[in-house]
Amino acid sequence: MPGSATAGGFLLVLAIVLPVAGAMLSLVLGGRYAERIALTVMPTGVVVAVAIGAIVWRTHNVLQYFVGKWDPPLGVAFRADGLSATMIVTAALLICGIGLFARAQFSLPRCVEERAPLVFWILLLTVWGALNAVFIGCDLFNLYVALELLTFAAVPLVSLDGRAETLTAALRYLLFALFGSILYLLGAVLLYGAYGTLDMVLLSGRIRAEPAAWAAISLMTSGLLAKAALYPLHLWLPPAHAGAPSPASAVLSGLVVKAPFFLVVRLWFDVMPRLPEHAVAQVLGGLGAAAIIFGSLVALRQVRLKLLIAYSTVAQIGYLFLMFPLAVKPEPGHPWSTAAWTGGVLQAISHAFAKAAMFMAAGLIAEALGHDRIAGLAGVGRVLPITVFAFALGGLSLMGLPPSGGFVAKAMLLTAAVAAGQWWWAVVVLTGGLLAGGYVFLVIARSLADAGEPLSLISTISPGRQVVVLVLALCAVLLGFVPLRPLELLQIGRPDMAIGGVR
Amino acid sequence: MLSACVSRRVRDRIPSLLALAPVPALVAALLSPAGTTLVLPEPPFRMTLVLDVRGAMLLGVGALLWIVAGAYASSHLRSDPNAGRFAEWWLLTLAGNLGVFIAADLVSFYLTFSVVSLAAWGLIAHDGTPGSRRAGVIYVALAVLSEAFLLIAFVFMAEATPNGSLLIRDAVAALPLSPWRDASLVLLILGFGLKIGFVPGMLSAFYGVVVGITQQNPKTVLAYSSVSQMGLLSAALGMGLASGDIGAALGASFSAAHHVLVKGGLFLAIGVCATAVRRLWPVVIPAAVLALGLGGLPLTGGMLAKLAAKAQLGDGVVGIFATLSSVGSTLLMLHFLYRLAQTAPEDPAKGAPTTLVRPWLVMAVAAVAVPWILYPTIESGSLLAAVGRTTLWAALWPALIGGVLAVGLWRWRDRMPRVPEGDIVVVGERAMRATICWSEAIERADDYLQQWPVASLLLLTFVITLGTVMLARG
Amino acid sequence: MTEGTLYGLCSAVLVGLGLFGLIMHPEPLRKILAFNLVGGGVFLLFGVVARKGAAAGLGGDPVPQALVITGLVVAFAATALAVALLARLFQETGRATLQADE
Repeated sequence: MPGSATAGGFLLVLAIVLPVAGAMLSLVLGGRYAERIALTVMPTGVVVAVAIGAIVWRTHNVLQYFVGKWDPPLGVAFRADGLSATMIVTAALLICGIGLFARAQFSLPRCVEERAPLVFWILLLTVWGALNAVFIGCDLFNLYVALELLTFAAVPLVSLDGRAETLTAALRYLLFALFGSILYLLGAVLLYGAYGTLDMVLLSGRIRAEPAAWAAISLMTSGLLAKAALYPLHLWLPPAHAGAPSPASAVLSGLVVKAPFFLVVRLWFDVMPRLPEHAVAQVLGGLGAAAIIFGSLVALRQVRLKLLIAYSTVAQIGYLFLMFPLAVKPEPGHPWSTAAWTGGVLQAISHAFAKAAMFMAAGLIAEALGHDRIAGLAGVGRVLPITVFAFALGGLSLMGLPPSGGFVAKAMLLTAAVAAGQWWWAVVVLTGGLLAGGYVFLVIARSLADAGEPLSLISTISPGRQVVVLVLALCAVLLGFVPLRPLELLQIGRPDMAIGGVR
Repeated sequence: MLSACVSRRVRDRIPSLLALAPVPALVAALLSPAGTTLVLPEPPFRMTLVLDVRGAMLLGVGALLWIVAGAYASSHLRSDPNAGRFAEWWLLTLAGNLGVFIAADLVSFYLTFSVVSLAAWGLIAHDGTPGSRRAGVIYVALAVLSEAFLLIAFVFMAEATPNGSLLIRDAVAALPLSPWRDASLVLLILGFGLKIGFVPGMLSAFYGVVVGITQQNPKTVLAYSSVSQMGLLSAALGMGLASGDIGAALGASFSAAHHVLVKGGLFLAIGVCATAVRRLWPVVIPAAVLALGLGGLPLTGGMLAKLAAKAQLGDGVVGIFATLSSVGSTLLMLHFLYRLAQTAPEDPAKGAPTTLVRPWLVMAVAAVAVPWILYPTIESGSLLAAVGRTTLWAALWPALIGGVLAVGLWRWRDRMPRVPEGDIVVVGERAMRATICWSEAIERADDYLQQWPVASLLLLTFVITLGTVMLARG
Repeated sequence: MTEGTLYGLCSAVLVGLGLFGLIMHPEPLRKILAFNLVGGGVFLLFGVVARKGAAAGLGGDPVPQALVITGLVVAFAATALAVALLARLFQETGRATLQADE
């Protein structure tokens, strides 16, 4: 294990501790203070995240911290490479935006259900802390605990309004997630039994191509796929994400569902880079393709707006897994793998912003109209123009039209597919874009249509909340100005990925 | 120059100023020296804009058309309650359109192209009637499909360029050598073709004529004539591109510019006629000159355009087809004129508002005059040769034959079959219905998958499958 | 058969039973119990691994034992959350089943 804690490593600890401390403080102090504590922690957390990113970028090196100054395998290490830093910053910004948006919905005394605001803020902060723990964890068991913490904090967010349907959805989510994580744990046991360590860096040196490793990897990957709702294991996602209140849906679709994907990436690219698993990567890519196509098709048939957006999440997660057959290489040094890597990560980030904006926009519309039936959306464009515009911008990123982060991600994936000669992924990416265009257009066309009689609104929506949604959607668009090249930031800490090659 | 393609986005409603927006573009086109390049630094903007002769031609002509149409639209819209929103979509489409002409790298091109496609939807569907709504849906479907094709074609082309530059100039030069040349060309044509609405090549040149003469609505006739013209244009461009010749683009731009002017003028004529004229003839005669120009009538701009295209197509089989297509175009245009006269109500009392007629006349004059002005700038011929006797005769005889055929058409007009408007779209709609049945099946399958035992069994199957695959490969 | 193999087989049986219950039983309470069975099996496997790593005078490798303790806490929290959700669902609807909607 090279090196020791680098300067600024304590920031990593802060990234986890700050939100969790905020959550505990809220628990102690009670409802009235919860929102205020959350709103204080958020900007601080953003500062910490940006600081981490800045240090990683400037030193071009991995940020490390050993808890208690003990080395692995006995001690616990936190590592932040380029990928982690990017995800930490994304999470911080997104949680900030969601927090600002949720102020109107979850602040006493405006809320009817009294415990909901307290629970919401505590859970939001816990989710944030758990996410950061997942992003910087370096030990497979730590990651298990972090993932479980994430799940336990995310599940109650689904059933915040206490209705029977959302309770059912939450229970189903929890049980399937537990199924996945117990499989993950089983795999971890096998790995420890075979190699004597669970630290990712040490494991990558010791792991060999033998049945124990294969069994472990398949168990862990499958478990993580279940938590990431990759088709056809997506049964829990649509009712959960559609039933949650919109800020919760935003955090669930945007960030929580990306954490298991992040772990699969870590597993495949950090723990077992030497094992040539090209065939399995194709299987993963195939599942991703199925997710894109079937998810989008079912989304087209939805009657309710939030369910449509949830199925769209199922589809967009598929794009993430297309990264695997293109970035896992039989021999090192293939230039297109960096393009695929950048494409996959960019897709995760831009989808996070775009989907959060879309869910929040849908929430505003549902609040205003009292329902979220797509057929009844006529005239909304006139009443909530900023909201519909933000929704359209998010949809732009989903479709992959310039300028947007989605476009850059898809262009990179297409380039990688073409360069690697695996043109079938290119077909899937394009079809996915078309279908996404279909369901986005469905909603936008309905909203811009003329209502027969003037729309009766249940409640007025303040422009401030609409602006927050717009800002998040704009972030997704701004990502489109990233140069169409493998991103250097993402390469930090990955010596096996050569920059250059593909433009 | 950047300001030339970014028109003012006005929040409040000023539709009457629509005509002024493209003026900077026109000025830029006329006055900038050739080859001016504007490179926006990266990051964050990474766009390259260029104004060479070809681009200037299209930009100037396009700006002219937009100005005229803007004037026309302002008066037309005075009674329209949705005028403000129409103006917003209009300006957006304008910006994208002008941007397309001056984009120099693949990404900017794709961006401006997307802007045009999507903003034009707003223009199509703006009055909210079911007919226009349906047209809007079809349009967007085709537009998004065409963008998909274009995107993959651009990715191919970008892969082939030697040093990773995204400039269109470099990409086109590298095209003949790229291993994906055929695929790129096919995809490019498919992509652009879907947008313009035609089947590539010479096929569409004749297809457009054949279907066009069966149509009753003069707007539809014009649309099919565009299909036919685009076929000719794409054939010329395709042959030029396949040999990597940049000069091909110039000739094609010239033809395109002429086509833009003429078609714009003719559509405006339809509008003028529809609002009732005191007498038909002031409208019909200039329209006739314009229209027959499409068939290559001597001394019109159309003849020049055909000459320019001829240079690309050569004298072989393709050249003969091109001449035959002139016959067809003349025929089609005469049919159009006839339908135009038919649909205008002859009402001596009402007169067309001058605000509509004036833009129309400006357009007509421009359509005839501008090609003559621009002709010397393209390489393939001189003005003197254009008015030489052999060229005049070569342009005249196809038109004469077309005229003869038109007389025959007029005699037999009642026996013409009625082809429904939007033929390919009808096929598309049947495909849509099939897809809907499919998607119902898929949704049922999805409900099945969402049952707990099924999903969990699948999870276990994954574990086993992944492990077995690794076992087999290891 | 060494005791390691015996306990390993035991854990495999537990995991198998638990998986069966998790997949096949429709009632959520049984799924929760089945999950705990699987968890038990996994922890038993941890124990086997610990035994195999016995060295330097220790009865077993301490690291897996620590992991088991943490795992027990996690499983306990999971069960508590699941049962709480189930109880609330029962309170709301009078039934305890996952197929209430759709």
